[in-house]
Amino acid sequence: MHAACDVLIVGAGPSGAVAAQEFARSGMRVICLEQGDWPDYSRARHGHPDYELVSRKHWAWNPNDRRGVGDYAVDDTESDISALMYNGVGGSTVLYAAQWERFQPSDFRTHTLDGVGDDWPFDYWDLEPYYEEVERQFAVSGLAGDPALPPAKAPPLPPVPLNKVGRRGAEALNRLGWHWWPGTNAIATADYGPLRACDQRAACPFGCPTGAKASVDRTHWRPLLGKGVRLVVRASVEQVLLDERGRAGGVVYADENGVRHRIEAGVVVLCANALGTPRILFNSADGSGIANSSGMVGRRLMTHPFGNAIGIFDEDLESWRGPIGQYLHSLQFYETDRSRGFVRGAKWNLIPSGAPLSMMLTTTWGDEPIWGESFTRLLRERLGRSVIWGVICEDLPDPDNRVTLNDRPDEHGIPGVSLHYRVSDNTRAMMHWHIDRVSEVLDVMGAKQKILNPIIPGIGWHLMGTAVMGRDPDSSVVAPDGQCHDVPNLYVFDSSIFPTSSGTNPVATIAANALRCARSLVARRRELEVAS
Amino acid sequence: MTGQDPIRIEARAEVEITADARDRLARVADLLIPAGAGLPSARAAGVHKGLLDQVARARPDLVPPLLDALAALGDAPGLALVEGLATTAPDAYAALTLVVAGGYVMSPQVTEPLRYTPNETEIVDPRDTLNAVAEGLLDQVRARGPIYRVPPDAPPGHGS
Repeated sequence: MHAACDVLIVGAGPSGAVAAQEFARSGMRVICLEQGDWPDYSRARHGHPDYELVSRKHWAWNPNDRRGVGDYAVDDTESDISALMYNGVGGSTVLYAAQWERFQPSDFRTHTLDGVGDDWPFDYWDLEPYYEEVERQFAVSGLAGDPALPPAKAPPLPPVPLNKVGRRGAEALNRLGWHWWPGTNAIATADYGPLRACDQRAACPFGCPTGAKASVDRTHWRPLLGKGVRLVVRASVEQVLLDERGRAGGVVYADENGVRHRIEAGVVVLCANALGTPRILFNSADGSGIANSSGMVGRRLMTHPFGNAIGIFDEDLESWRGPIGQYLHSLQFYETDRSRGFVRGAKWNLIPSGAPLSMMLTTTWGDEPIWGESFTRLLRERLGRSVIWGVICEDLPDPDNRVTLNDRPDEHGIPGVSLHYRVSDNTRAMMHWHIDRVSEVLDVMGAKQKILNPIIPGIGWHLMGTAVMGRDPDSSVVAPDGQCHDVPNLYVFDSSIFPTSSGTNPVATIAANALRCARSLVARRRELEVAS
Repeated sequence: MTGQDPIRIEARAEVEITADARDRLARVADLLIPAGAGLPSARAAGVHKGLLDQVARARPDLVPPLLDALAALGDAPGLALVEGLATTAPDAYAALTLVVAGGYVMSPQVTEPLRYTPNETEIVDPRDTLNAVAEGLLDQVRARGPIYRVPPDAPPGHGS
């Protein structure tokens, strides 16, 4: 077989980008297939009057609402949480809030410490050098010395400002004697490589118009083009091809016209996220599925149930401005205390509340009717005078929470996916307890009104766990370096392989782990058996 | 959600917005957003005039369901009838309310009294947080020491 490339990556999100960069640096020929297209930043309209109108369509977080190039139907009718993602170059870093959190040491040892979930096959300190490396790739801004984490080198850039909102939150946490630390974000606070200093448009989750947020279309893919990397957009991978010995020989993808193409490769790396990766594995071998002798493909889906607590104040806090992003985070109650009635914990972060429609045309700003006499009063009360505490709960793995193929294909005939997901009793108890604590913080901050939203069904940003890594082929899909137990030259580098979810934002760990896996593959590439 | 196939071609506003439709929108808009709190009504802000044209240019896909909503409401709806569309015609209701509120907050007559000036950007000043730290805002957090849990198999030097 004459391979078109040494390694073929499926998916141009953060794991694919970090891996592609590492492979290219080692001299490997790389092709990446991405089902979406490049982000169109001409539609990032912040500063224009029609900003929110355009954002609600073109930067919609749910692919079922956005229905753009590369989006496929995700049936969430049997799920407590909707899956959010961006299908395009940059993946969900195009829409993420760029809150950059290393997982905690305890996250890698939940079974040892708390008797739940599974221990990872490596620990925090194994991943630590990779965190440090990718923090330079992602222009991370923050402040060293956070006592909620082991000692680490400072991020390359200083933290975002606290502004009025962050300072008020910090002072309240100090009065309560609770932990906080200035926010760590993948947001440039000074010009840095291809990025420019943040100008506080509070538009991070709607396609950063400034180019300050480290989305990998900007930090990785643009610089990689012409350096041994070929990126093909509007290429929807249908299946991985296996030879008679069970080795991956490449993939079949559909181009934008639905025409099938076969592309051969020495190694295939799936970086298609925790929905897209099992979708491809299930659909391979003409729908019979591959890499699933353990029966774990698609299972253990984790989504990070998200809640928030909104505070409304008398003072003008200019809270339509700022990075989103996080001004600060608190991990005061992150570690397990069984007296609270649940195990594991949650992270809190404080953000500005943003633009007017986001607080008027939504289901998360309380039950008070907005139309009629109340509209102008509510608009005046909320805009610039409100803050949001976000709460992310650790979501423990459950084999019954899963992704399956459905019989509703995309426009090219590739099956879509269905989610079967229920929020656990442990997570519900955790969320309610934490929202109560955050409510206390809002009281100390002086909020005149509070709106509490434990578990928001429409927000499932962090998709993990559906091709779990482990040492035992009977209970895991991939080995600790991402290599499929069943197909030795097929790898998975995305968050599908996370054994547990942590209770913090996963992109830092997605990037660090992808770098760890890619470096391992490069070191072993001479010994890999490829298709014949 | 779903099960719908993705739309690959943007819907365009090929339907004319008549003077009658604009008059109807003005009446409905004032039901949804009457004047108050020092802010104008939606009609006074002009959501049925130039703002509607701006909305239609930004979101042509909203125009057909907007016209459906206006047709369904007739000449003299009350607020309750308008809000009832949320149940009987949710897509039309969503378009109508987004057109009215979206157009309303585009008006300088609204944004200026609110001191909402998103076109004025402000580059971050990294000294802001560092100055707060220098003032001692983090001292007590630091003084309390590490709060993370160290697993029993952590490498030597990390608490094990």
